[in-house]
Amino acid sequence: MGLEIHDIAHSFGDRTALDGVSFDIAPGVITGLLGPNGAGKTTLLRIMLGVLSPDRGQVRYNGRPVGEQDRRQWGYMPQERGLYPGMPAGDQVTHFGRLHGLSRRDATSKAHALLAELGLEDRWNDCTDKLSGGMQQRLQLATSLVHDPSVIVLDEPFAGLDPLAVESLSETLRLRARGGRTVLFSSHQLDLVQDLCEDIAMVDHGRTVLLGSVATLRASSGRRQLRVHVKAPNREWLLGYPDVTVVSDEADDLRLALPPGIDPLDVLDAARAAGEVVDFGLDLPTLSQLFLSAADRTLDPAGVR
Amino acid sequence: MRGWWRGTTLVAERGLVENVRSRSFKVITGLLLLLSIAAVAIPQILGAQGTTYTLATIGKAPAGLVATLDAAGRPAGFTVTYVSRLDEAAVRKAVRDGDATAGLAGGTLYTSAKSAGTFPVVIAQAMVSLETTRRLTEAGLSPQQVASIQSIRPPKQVIAGPVDNVGRVGVGVGVGIVLYVALVLAGTAIATTVAMEKSTRISEVLLAILRPSQVLVGTVMAVGIVTLVQLLVLATPVAVALRVTDKIGVPAVAAGDLGLAVAWFVLGFALYAFLFAAAAALVNKITEVNSAILPVTLILVASYIVALAVVAPDPSGAWSVAVSMFPLSAPLVMPVRWASGQVPVYQLVLAMALTAATAVLLVSVASSIYRRALLITGHRVRLREMIPKRGSR
Repeated sequence: MGLEIHDIAHSFGDRTALDGVSFDIAPGVITGLLGPNGAGKTTLLRIMLGVLSPDRGQVRYNGRPVGEQDRRQWGYMPQERGLYPGMPAGDQVTHFGRLHGLSRRDATSKAHALLAELGLEDRWNDCTDKLSGGMQQRLQLATSLVHDPSVIVLDEPFAGLDPLAVESLSETLRLRARGGRTVLFSSHQLDLVQDLCEDIAMVDHGRTVLLGSVATLRASSGRRQLRVHVKAPNREWLLGYPDVTVVSDEADDLRLALPPGIDPLDVLDAARAAGEVVDFGLDLPTLSQLFLSAADRTLDPAGVR
Repeated sequence: MRGWWRGTTLVAERGLVENVRSRSFKVITGLLLLLSIAAVAIPQILGAQGTTYTLATIGKAPAGLVATLDAAGRPAGFTVTYVSRLDEAAVRKAVRDGDATAGLAGGTLYTSAKSAGTFPVVIAQAMVSLETTRRLTEAGLSPQQVASIQSIRPPKQVIAGPVDNVGRVGVGVGVGIVLYVALVLAGTAIATTVAMEKSTRISEVLLAILRPSQVLVGTVMAVGIVTLVQLLVLATPVAVALRVTDKIGVPAVAAGDLGLAVAWFVLGFALYAFLFAAAAALVNKITEVNSAILPVTLILVASYIVALAVVAPDPSGAWSVAVSMFPLSAPLVMPVRWASGQVPVYQLVLAMALTAATAVLLVSVASSIYRRALLITGHRVRLREMIPKRGSR
């Protein structure tokens, strides 16, 4: 169940933006649609929302092709801010609530609640163009969440936000996901959103290059590094692990690359047997490192278009 | 369909509220109201004085003449004052010096060369009429017979010109000017709204919720209602005054023309509004709006010039008939032509039907341009990009 992207393709004239992208988006978790600029993320989101029609493929929701009625229940926040400059903040949120099918009274009360949640309750009567950039960003979020959408789609919601705003937006999204909503957002700042998304779909050149849960992907990648500070006279205890390579070997910091299949705990045990372990840590690859290695794979000669 | 209307009216409602709240709406509507009231009130104030003629006579003017002249003055809108002089020379001097419009002494009617108008004719007629009555009575006719002879009227005089009523043509030209200004202002307002929504990317949010036709029709409705309200503000006092009094210098037949003008505005607006909206969807920045809508504005300007320069002087010429039927020019040309009073009703109905049909056609074309153009950002969209290439959608 949830949202399925099935074999979506789209081109603008001769330029292929999406070339058969497929992945599922589960409810209750935050899914990140990640990739560099120009990867096709915005095009895919626009197709999901029905703003663009795909050349091929289908978006399915709860097992059937998504329709206009489904989409009216969704919330969409586009990459560039779309707010009426001369409209009071509260009216703006109420208006979008009504466009999504709420009655005027429902829309007004939900707008009040949402602006309070986002810290804008005292700005109800302020014109949008009088608000600061950060406030406008939160107002934009409010217009896409006012009808309590079952599916929330955000295009680059973190672009241009300060760390505080990133944290508060993340919290708002986590809250919605925990409430069982389907949350999908796109970002090109892979490491910024690393801690937020639970599932990811990475796209590059209109194709998916990496799919799955972030934790699994990072843990199962061949790029884990064990950092250990061990008071041992020499490195002979490492001889039992021929596949483990030494990345760097400073006096107090030994950095080891662990290939898949090697349990970091076994290596740590060997180190403890050799001497006192003062400090240790397991470094998983960042999302951008994962992306780079995944994107490299698609750039083999056969894959180059 | 119910869902379609709900979304459309929400878009229209928002546009209306924003428009009515704006300062420019209040200022323009206030000015229009003042203008309309002035158009009604100023002729009333001037008309209250009316035209006054002065008649000089030797001694007091005869009661019969005074009664006849007053009776003639009431429907024609003039009043007569009387001055008395001692002798014929004094009467003549009074007229010459401008103290009197005309002077009556013995068998002579003195008039000045200027500013007497039809007054001397009226006096002469009154004198002949009085004398005829006296002689007929003397000849032994009964008062009824005299009255019957007096009721003889000359044949009705009709000027065989290209128009039936010059005053009404003036109204027609006025209607043409107002329609032109209203269409240009409304079109610019629509174009600005569309370009603003595109440049602020509101349209992308809207298109995720609504269909392009809903956004388009809603936006057009809001501006249309506002402009219609302003036109009614301008026309209502004039139309009401026409019903109540005939003293505002506008022929009574023009009341119907004003009603027709409102109908033509609705048609012309429906036709042009979607052209303006589609043209504005091509912009990238809001500052490009004027150059983007230039082609549409040019069609309007051309229709307007044709209406004033070709149609008003010769409303029944072949060219005039042709441009009053052509849908793009009909909304501006037909009201001007109609005021000549020489347009067959079938031509009016046909022109309206053609305009309405073209407007319906344009809604779908404009919706399609609007939808495609809204998502192309970063550069000014060329019309060529709007035509789908074969093999791709």
